[in-house]
Amino acid sequence: MRLPRFEYLEPDDLTQALDMLASHKEDVKIIAGGTDLLVRMKNQLLTPAFVMSMKQLSGLSYIKNHDDTLTIGAKTTLADIVDSDDIQEGYTALAQAAERVGAETIQHHRGTISGNILQDTRCIHYNQSRFHRSGRQPCHKDGGKICYARDEGDRCYSTYQGDMAPALIALEAKVVLSKKDGKRTINLSDLFTSDGFHPFSIEPDELLTEIILPKQKNNSKSAYQRLSYRSAIDYPITSAGVMINSKAEKIKKARIVVGSMSRAPLFMVKASETLAEKSLTDIDAFKEAAGIAMDNAGTFAVHNAGSTLEYRCDMTFVMVLKALEQAAGIEK
Amino acid sequence: MEKITITLNVNNESHEVLVAPNDTLLEVLRDQLDFTGSKESCGEGVCGSCTVHMDGKPVRACLTLALEAENIEIKTVEGLANGDELSPLQQSFIDHGAVQCGFCTPGMLMSADALLNNNRQPDEATVRKAISGNICRCTGYAKIVHAVAHAHNPHQGCCDCNHKE
Ligand SMILES: Cc1cc2nc3c(=O)[nH]c(=O)nc-3n(C[C@H](O)[C@H](O)[C@H](O)COP(=O)(O)OP(=O)(O)OC[C@H]3O[C@@H](n4cnc5c(N)ncnc54)[C@H](O)[C@@H]3O)c2cc1C
Ligand code: SF4
Ligand code: FES
Ligand code: FES
Repeated sequence: MRLPRFEYLEPDDLTQALDMLASHKEDVKIIAGGTDLLVRMKNQLLTPAFVMSMKQLSGLSYIKNHDDTLTIGAKTTLADIVDSDDIQEGYTALAQAAERVGAETIQHHRGTISGNILQDTRCIHYNQSRFHRSGRQPCHKDGGKICYARDEGDRCYSTYQGDMAPALIALEAKVVLSKKDGKRTINLSDLFTSDGFHPFSIEPDELLTEIILPKQKNNSKSAYQRLSYRSAIDYPITSAGVMINSKAEKIKKARIVVGSMSRAPLFMVKASETLAEKSLTDIDAFKEAAGIAMDNAGTFAVHNAGSTLEYRCDMTFVMVLKALEQAAGIEK
Repeated sequence: MEKITITLNVNNESHEVLVAPNDTLLEVLRDQLDFTGSKESCGEGVCGSCTVHMDGKPVRACLTLALEAENIEIKTVEGLANGDELSPLQQSFIDHGAVQCGFCTPGMLMSADALLNNNRQPDEATVRKAISGNICRCTGYAKIVHAVAHAHNPHQGCCDCNHKE
């Protein structure tokens, strides 16, 4: 499968990269590992005039431990995240999520954390070859006016199937977005728009440069669980990232995030709140929270990620429960 | 769209090639440098038949731009043997009958070689994980898994290992 034509830009450093983004804006696409971007380009889902490489931006590849945060450079590979002791110990859900992405040989060595976060939302009707799509009218995401995933769908409901964002949002991650004349730091959850057509609030002239993870107070444990057809290669069809903050065996704060069930990772406010002041061994409380998360996620999900919606909803319960049990240290 | 001359280091030899920005590493390896061992099957990252090493790590050549592979040591399946002498892993694939149609084999070998370079005596679970990104439609994987696990570590109870002597 041939890639469409484009001009290749290779900035030497961050300043040059931000200048290039500022002058080309919508016409330029950033390539980090390329394992999401190039597939979409091969399928002619996008044909940018310019592709800007992050190859020389080696200064954006790091994992640094500070007093009250851990910072990760945008270009850090999934393999480096899986191998990091600091992340495995302090931010287990993130290491588990990175480890479960695709397969080692697909993207763990070239795929990056920024590319993983900013991968496009997906849909079985859209992520297909041009030939496949040419058989019928284009859907909303493809520039048309219909949706094949939802009857009378007036917009796009493509699903965000990235693994790392649900774990990162459970861990209260922030991201730094840099551009020519400044930068802003936002909650990772605010990077998502919940619009399948335009899933991220990042501007075309902005580069995601850093991920910031706060150090949690008290005793904090996290876990990530996902379900896919095959344990490797396939994208998740439902997933859960959770963090439990506890003191003297009592839960002080919990964060449950469900992935692969909507246009963005879903932070389950109500399910998370029910766990406050519960004991770390209260399995009934975990089941109740998992049930609420399943019900809430079910209202967002659309039948476009393979399998049946019913199964994905049922298994959301299982993923949340397993992740909670693991984070609480009571998994069977 | 201007073509650019770059130097690719493949199997310890430098090659000057004129590439277009939209040429993948796989296309340049196969069509310009005649390293046709690496195969294109899906072309979209799913199957693993195009797996090569970049600085010793297994990656998808079909999802790598040739331009991004400059100044990196690339190894293809052609780089495994020492002249006419097969590597222990390649010999083990033959001894174990781990090759049927052979289309997945170059990719399997590269994923397995990357594993064996770090761990000469992997157990079966480790082997299965290392090759989990490589699809084989013929063998059912058992022979491949044994071939990798026993490559440096012939197994008493394995008739394919003992058959060798
Ligand atoms: C067969 C297959 C299976 C896969 N399975 C999974 C899976 O199970 N789970 C999963 O999460 N992913 C999966 N992926 C998707 C992808 O490989 C990973 O998400 C990977 O981590 C993407 O990282 P990358 O660096 O290669 O991204 P790229 O393709 O380089 O980039 C992805 C997107 O992010 C943008 N981008 C990248 N970096 C920046 C930045 N710093 N600032 C602004 N924009 C940026 C790019 O412009 C592009 O739009 C799979 C892919 C394939 C081909
Ligand atoms: S959800 Fe509908 S509009 Fe969006 S990609 Fe799928 S078919 Fe297209
Ligand atoms: S051809 Fe590269 S993964 Fe299939
Ligand atoms: S031997 Fe035929 S695909 Fe593996």
